[in-house]
Amino acid sequence: MDVRKIIESLTGTFPEAISEAMAESEIRARAYVDKEKVKEVCQYLKDSLQFDHLCSVCGVDYIKRNEIEVVYHIASYDHPVVLMLKAALPRENPEIESIVSVYWNANWYERETYELFGVMFKNHPNLKPLVLPEDMLGEWPLRKDYKGFPNTTARNLV
Amino acid sequence: MGEVKEEKTSKSDEVSEEEIPGVITTTTSAIHDFLKKTKVQDLINWGRKNSLWFMTQPMGCCGVEMIATGCAHYDTDRFGIIPRNSPRQADVMIISGYVTKKYLPALKRLWEQMPAPKWVICMGDCSISGGPFYESYSTVQNIDELFPIDVFIPGCPPRPEALLQGFVELQEKIKAKKDRGTEY
Repeated sequence: MDVRKIIESLTGTFPEAISEAMAESEIRARAYVDKEKVKEVCQYLKDSLQFDHLCSVCGVDYIKRNEIEVVYHIASYDHPVVLMLKAALPRENPEIESIVSVYWNANWYERETYELFGVMFKNHPNLKPLVLPEDMLGEWPLRKDYKGFPNTTARNLV
Repeated sequence: MGEVKEEKTSKSDEVSEEEIPGVITTTTSAIHDFLKKTKVQDLINWGRKNSLWFMTQPMGCCGVEMIATGCAHYDTDRFGIIPRNSPRQADVMIISGYVTKKYLPALKRLWEQMPAPKWVICMGDCSISGGPFYESYSTVQNIDELFPIDVFIPGCPPRPEALLQGFVELQEKIKAKKDRGTEY
């Protein structure tokens, strides 16, 4: 399947939810998705466009724009196109629909994005910290304004 | 010997104030305190320093070097250093890597499970100062404030020969009664 056909199909089906869709090369595509529609878009990608492999879910903190973006990399076993799907969330209350019901392996990715960025995934079956200890919950260490870095060893010596 | 034991004996001292006439009662810690003043302690330390069994508890990439040290090639048995699987059977704990905030309670629990006398060796840059992870949000800093560490072995990771050297230094400290694992 061609990358342009994929983008045409995606923007044709979701004209309001998909924005800034473009093809970076023959095998890379990118698009912004509305945060309310991410589950429907993923379902359509999986069912109709053969995107059956979710590579990763991660977060990016854009502190100057006051936004947190959740980035989904979705690939396929049938064609070489990798789609980078982004959803921009407000920084005060980042909430997005969970896609575990579409891609089951999003479970741990979303838990890690939750513990590091504080993105709440609605309807997640088991939203609790994956790697961090429970008492670090609420610090959101990968946000740009995180202040909890230790300064008791090498910095004092320099 | 350990802190817990002494608390218990001090309590039992209060209870056993009613002395039985004609019988001299004593406690284990009183015997140990007496022995520490005599030459017998040298003999006890000679035995202890020649049976430093360490706990096989790898925490990072230094743990691989620790396992390699315990294998047949380096033959640590000639110093009496044998890897053990259980903290109940171990004398030495080697902190062989970065200590994360999540792992610190488990490490403390392992340390408390070891019977006294016991010693700690800090192996590698990560456990000494944090190493490459000194500024991480998830690592614990200044591990020497939490454990009575006798020997620091720098390196990233140290060679197995360096770890053996650290063990020999610990043996020298025990022989000279300068170690922090025993209370003199």
